[in-house]
Amino acid sequence: MIKECDELPPTLWHNPRMKFRDLLPYMGLLVLALAVGVLAGYLTFNSRRPPPPHTDALLLHAPKALPDFTLTDTMAKTLDKDRLMGRWSLLYFGYTHCPDACPTTLAALDKMQRYLANLPQDKRPQVYFISVDPKRDDPKLLGDYTLYFNSDFVAATGSLENLRALMGPLDLEFSYDKPDAKGDYGVNHSTAVILVDPEAEETALFVPPLDPKRMASDYANILKYYGEQF
Amino acid sequence: MRRLLPLLLLLAAASAWCDGPTVRASHVWIRDAPPGIKVLAAYFTLQNLTDKPLNLVAVSSPDFDAVMLHQSVVKGGVESMLPVDSLIIPADGSVELQPGGYHVMLMQPKRNLFSGDMVTLMLTFSDKSELAILAPVRHDPPEH
Repeated sequence: MIKECDELPPTLWHNPRMKFRDLLPYMGLLVLALAVGVLAGYLTFNSRRPPPPHTDALLLHAPKALPDFTLTDTMAKTLDKDRLMGRWSLLYFGYTHCPDACPTTLAALDKMQRYLANLPQDKRPQVYFISVDPKRDDPKLLGDYTLYFNSDFVAATGSLENLRALMGPLDLEFSYDKPDAKGDYGVNHSTAVILVDPEAEETALFVPPLDPKRMASDYANILKYYGEQF
Repeated sequence: MRRLLPLLLLLAAASAWCDGPTVRASHVWIRDAPPGIKVLAAYFTLQNLTDKPLNLVAVSSPDFDAVMLHQSVVKGGVESMLPVDSLIIPADGSVELQPGGYHVMLMQPKRNLFSGDMVTLMLTFSDKSELAILAPVRHDPPEH
């Protein structure tokens, strides 16, 4: 009886007949499971960026580098990709002989700036109004028009070719209506306001109807999402 | 009888007046622009006080050489302005002219206009009635 009790039935853990070699497949599985666990944990931890903020603005899945471009502002300074580096920017394309959409958008951008007045200057977006009507918008007219909405705004334009070099890759368009008897013509143009990050990458788009307060909070949330501290 | 004539005329005028306005305008404004800008937009709400639909068929102003009814249309993210021949105001209803939609395009101003100035707009409707309204030039839309 006692002898029988000494001889316990073999188990996985205690089996005198089992060799180390027989355990290898089990150990292999264990190592694999551990490796998968560690990898999953690492990936989760590494992508611990908060979920994208809920915005009216259309947030791009990933920032998209702007193409190379060269425009000239109304102070005769070059506006190119380099100039957009180091600060968040908003780009809006329009023209001064535009009675409805352009002044509505520029007024909204001015109001948005006022909602962001408590941000440090270098965290506020620099607004660029880019005229797609260089024929009529000479630097004086374009500058006066733009500064009327906000004296910190910068206005620029360039040749049609240079405008297209910037706008084409951003899927932005412009075209001209047939001039009337007096030579006046309307300009058709994309309405989007483009948010550009300090690496000169397109990050988000604001599309009408624009609510300045909502634009300001969207802007702040997008900057926080991209790790800006303020 | 001769004494009565002015009275009769007055009565006739009063009865014409009692036909009453057919349209009421509210929230009238013109967005201001820097000097040198030759194109402005006027906005307002028109309320049809009759039980028949009416059309706004023309707008003019003594302060501008050219006035047109326009609509901003966004198609595929691109904004265009389309001329509008006439704008229907439904019976007992209203129509709003507002930024990004219908607006009166004011071109070739005869004087520089600044915030606070008043501009007369003459509206003509499909029933041949006319309405003169005063539009203030201002930076922000009037409060609703």
